[in-house]
Amino acid sequence: MSIEVKDLHFRYGKIVALDGVTVTLGEGAVGLLGPNGAGKSTLLRVLLGFLVPERGEGKVLDYDIRRDQAMIRRAVGYMPESDCFVSGMDAVTFTSYFGELSGMPRQEAMKRAHEVLFYVGLGESRYRLLDTYSAGMKQRLKLAQALVHDPKILFLDEPTSNLDPTGRTEVLELIRDISTHKSIQVLLSSHILDDIESLCETVVILKQGKIAAEGRMDDLRAIHYSLYELRIKGDGAALRRDLESGGSRVDEMEDGLYKVYMPEAGDRMDIFRAADRAGVQVRSFVKSQTSLEDLFAGVVGVD
Amino acid sequence: MATVREKGYSHWDGKLLERRFRWWPITRTGIQLAFKKKAFRFFFAMAFLPPFIALAGLYISERLEDFKALVRSNKALLSIDPNYFKGFLTNGSTLFSLILVLVFAAAGLIADDLRHNSLQLYFARPLGKTDYLAGKMAIVAFFVLILTALPYLVLVLFKLIFAGNLKFIAQYPWLPLSILGWSAVLTVFLAFYFMLLSATSRSTRYVSIIIFTTYIFSAALAGILKEIFKTPYMGLFSIPADLEQVGAFLFGSKLPMTVPAVWSFAVLAGICLLSVVVLNRKIRGVEVIK
Repeated sequence: MSIEVKDLHFRYGKIVALDGVTVTLGEGAVGLLGPNGAGKSTLLRVLLGFLVPERGEGKVLDYDIRRDQAMIRRAVGYMPESDCFVSGMDAVTFTSYFGELSGMPRQEAMKRAHEVLFYVGLGESRYRLLDTYSAGMKQRLKLAQALVHDPKILFLDEPTSNLDPTGRTEVLELIRDISTHKSIQVLLSSHILDDIESLCETVVILKQGKIAAEGRMDDLRAIHYSLYELRIKGDGAALRRDLESGGSRVDEMEDGLYKVYMPEAGDRMDIFRAADRAGVQVRSFVKSQTSLEDLFAGVVGVD
Repeated sequence: MATVREKGYSHWDGKLLERRFRWWPITRTGIQLAFKKKAFRFFFAMAFLPPFIALAGLYISERLEDFKALVRSNKALLSIDPNYFKGFLTNGSTLFSLILVLVFAAAGLIADDLRHNSLQLYFARPLGKTDYLAGKMAIVAFFVLILTALPYLVLVLFKLIFAGNLKFIAQYPWLPLSILGWSAVLTVFLAFYFMLLSATSRSTRYVSIIIFTTYIFSAALAGILKEIFKTPYMGLFSIPADLEQVGAFLFGSKLPMTVPAVWSFAVLAGICLLSVVVLNRKIRGVEVIK
């Protein structure tokens, strides 16, 4: 396993940031989800060895997060959320500079910088001053500096923020390529659920410093809900009240579609019984896949 | 914008080095970046003017016969002794030109990193806070030493070459040590001073103003306080005066202030200590991951 933490506790003064987090992450792309203050950033900080946990233990690629911080940072490529660059540099100098700081020989770092800049689509503008780069270009540059020393794991913090739709698609494609074909594990922290859903097979949802849900996306969907989509004729409000009293959640879409999130123990026939009781005619009934958004809302408790 | 993946990703088959001086790339790159600035290059070149004048003086002092008309009334100026070197190394204009050079080279060393959030990139590498600060301070050290120790040690050599004998060094064997000692004190102080002020803001321009203000106005403040309290100890509030006092002490010359030199050493050491405290807080305060 590449990342393994057990019973991690960390607090900022009186504020509990991590409260007994235990998680094991394997290969591939892993999504880290959670509302603000859930402990995502703190977990990344602890994994990178910047913060020492109060209690608990952890390993990244078999390096202890307390003892082997330098080794972890050699093996990890980190792409921060905020814009960051060194003023007065061009992209090649910048990328090779951080390669060298990771421990690469100078000439190798320079050669490698050219390669990764071409890879992220900045080949043509690699000699331009970074001060003149657009937000999207800076985003790609951050990815380049994270990749330059050929890390075994990439920590990506909101990698598609500041990008236009085309740029977002392209960067997502890059990340998918890296995680699926290049044997680099990706830990992706994002608020954009679509990004996580399109890239990650595994997801970890944090809530108030604790793991709220963790596992393969398909398994989580299956475990937590059964989603049914129906179209009806009649008093939708009565049907809704009946279903909700039975523990289901009902969302009415703008186009008149009803989404019924039924607890895993529920029986779909209950929907028809409720419709019968409410005097509602069911005209369409489809069992659907839950989206990550549905899962997130259900686990974290927000719509 | 160019298409993503103009070339495919390939793994790097090299091995990451375990560097002894992990800060060295920071220093080298910082020096290179300084030389990219036109204003810096101009002031850097101008800062070599005093050593060239000193060199001319050395030459003339050994060829007095050839320059009789020129030095008839200024013979005392051309007596070459440790005071001659001290005069060039520690006078106000030399120190000010040094500050000017460093403002262009070093004011933004930390301020720029704070402004552009790049600290998190540094610390995501196998670098500690000490490595980061050592790398930045070594940039200041490089420029201070190249403008003080290097030219004046070379001047001592020129003096021996012009004289054609070793009499001068035999007479003042401690002079190279004084030059090195003064350069070392100046290097350490200016490195901490610039780091301290560079860490106080995210704006390089603001930091530059603060550097000049504290340097110049500390002297003005000392003058005012001296007038009010009628004690020479108030002169210790002046950074240039403290530097000159320490310089005079190291060259064995008459002290410009009538207070023990140890007090000036203490003031400069105090500023360095303050710098350590502030840097420790500021650099720690900027988290690696938001």
